[in-house]
Amino acid sequence: MKERKIPEPKPLFVERIKKLLTEKEDLEEYWKIVKIEPVNSIRVNTLKITPKKLKEKLESYGWVLNFPWKDHPEIFVVLGKNPTGKENEILINESLSKLEPGELGRSLEHLLGYYYIQELSSMLPIIALDPKEKESHLDLCASPGSKTTQAGAKMKNTGNIIANEISMGRMRILASNLERCGITNTIITKKEGRDLCKNFENENIKFDKILVDAPCSGEGTLRSSPKTYLMWNLNSIKSLSKLQKQLLKNAFLNLKIGGEIVYSTCTHAPEENEEVVNFILNEFEDQIEIIDFKLPVKTRPGLTKWGEKIFKEKVKLSKRVYPQDNNTEGFFLAKFRRIK
Amino acid sequence: MTTIENIKILKGKERKEILDSIKTQFGIEKFNGTLLQRGKERIFLYEGNFDEEDLKKLEKITFIERAGIYLGKLEDHKMRLSIEGSQILKNEIKKNIVELDDQEKEIWMMGHEILKKTGLNGFIIMKYKEDLLGTGKASEEKITNFIPKSRRLRDRSIEK
Repeated sequence: MKERKIPEPKPLFVERIKKLLTEKEDLEEYWKIVKIEPVNSIRVNTLKITPKKLKEKLESYGWVLNFPWKDHPEIFVVLGKNPTGKENEILINESLSKLEPGELGRSLEHLLGYYYIQELSSMLPIIALDPKEKESHLDLCASPGSKTTQAGAKMKNTGNIIANEISMGRMRILASNLERCGITNTIITKKEGRDLCKNFENENIKFDKILVDAPCSGEGTLRSSPKTYLMWNLNSIKSLSKLQKQLLKNAFLNLKIGGEIVYSTCTHAPEENEEVVNFILNEFEDQIEIIDFKLPVKTRPGLTKWGEKIFKEKVKLSKRVYPQDNNTEGFFLAKFRRIK
Repeated sequence: MTTIENIKILKGKERKEILDSIKTQFGIEKFNGTLLQRGKERIFLYEGNFDEEDLKKLEKITFIERAGIYLGKLEDHKMRLSIEGSQILKNEIKKNIVELDDQEKEIWMMGHEILKKTGLNGFIIMKYKEDLLGTGKASEEKITNFIPKSRRLRDRSIEK
């Protein structure tokens, strides 16, 4: 794994990461891995093909695959391909060469919707939420559709998914991905997420499962999107935190009693993570419980303290995913149940 | 027929027209799911459990961009199935199927017509081994291609 040249992180960001990762070695591992491109991971679209058949097809191109999570055979990592000896080939080692830029998205199997290119950590929210056949599911911030298509496959195109997106441009990408993956149980809506939830509440439309994969500052995506270093600033973290609290609060009211909601972000900022979790636990004290869940990766418990802020002890049940722990991007997840 | 803002739920005679068409063209007997129409000819398939009342209720509170996925286009009372349409109905399609060899599959997926006498006329299902590749239109000497640009294989001969 070769390090890339990346933009210089802002001093405040460096300082905050140091507060999160207090052990020297851990911090060094973090700064080392964020300079390295993420692995190529794909999720088999089991609505269209079995993992076994897709494996055969992709291996026939000389692609070298790895299966990182044994309980999730539909998830592949494409390590590279067998070297062909071509002139412009980039070798990773003697027996492995890099895929060409864009090669993963240009195969016949991708064009036919047999797989979805999705970063490993981005697959975790749906693993946590575990949507089931015939359930009603709301994906509040759905574009580009990686998690909606994952839910559609898990639900075997039964039940119903409402996939909401506010931006017209992003909605087109969502529609195109849903189509390519053959997701027939989904209705795409276009509305500001908080307003949509209020309207559902007024019309008494309730859901078994809700995903709030909230817009965030993206600190966890530095490996695939180094430009995040340039855009990062504390003000946007603060305003995102407000938006996230409102989104989660309004969405929670759309849950059926016994229904479950996953809140996730691709950032490490505690204001956008534990602070939001703490807020929702306080807001719906006797109606909500935070619940534990299993993930196929190493996670760390949610923080109970950040600077002057103290969070409830139960916030520990949320999960932090750091890039250096699993060779993924960074993520944060929390799961709740409505009990009243 | 029921119309929501930009989507029409096909029922009765209109649904029957589509079902009759795919039965005559491709031998499709069994068909589940709700058929919806957007614009004059684009047909969508929705298999979720929202019924007409649910959709109307939803429409009252938000803009519905679409329900389900594009199944195909109705052209002169005949259905031109999309790639997904052909894949979803894979096990029901009984006739007007043209099997492609390896080279033809590449040409087809690059978006080119295929010069081939099939003995068929009109819309045909394109198949390569187990993969369904959408619909073409057969005439005496060729098959016209409808693969959308976003779903085409890269044509390296054009790039050079």
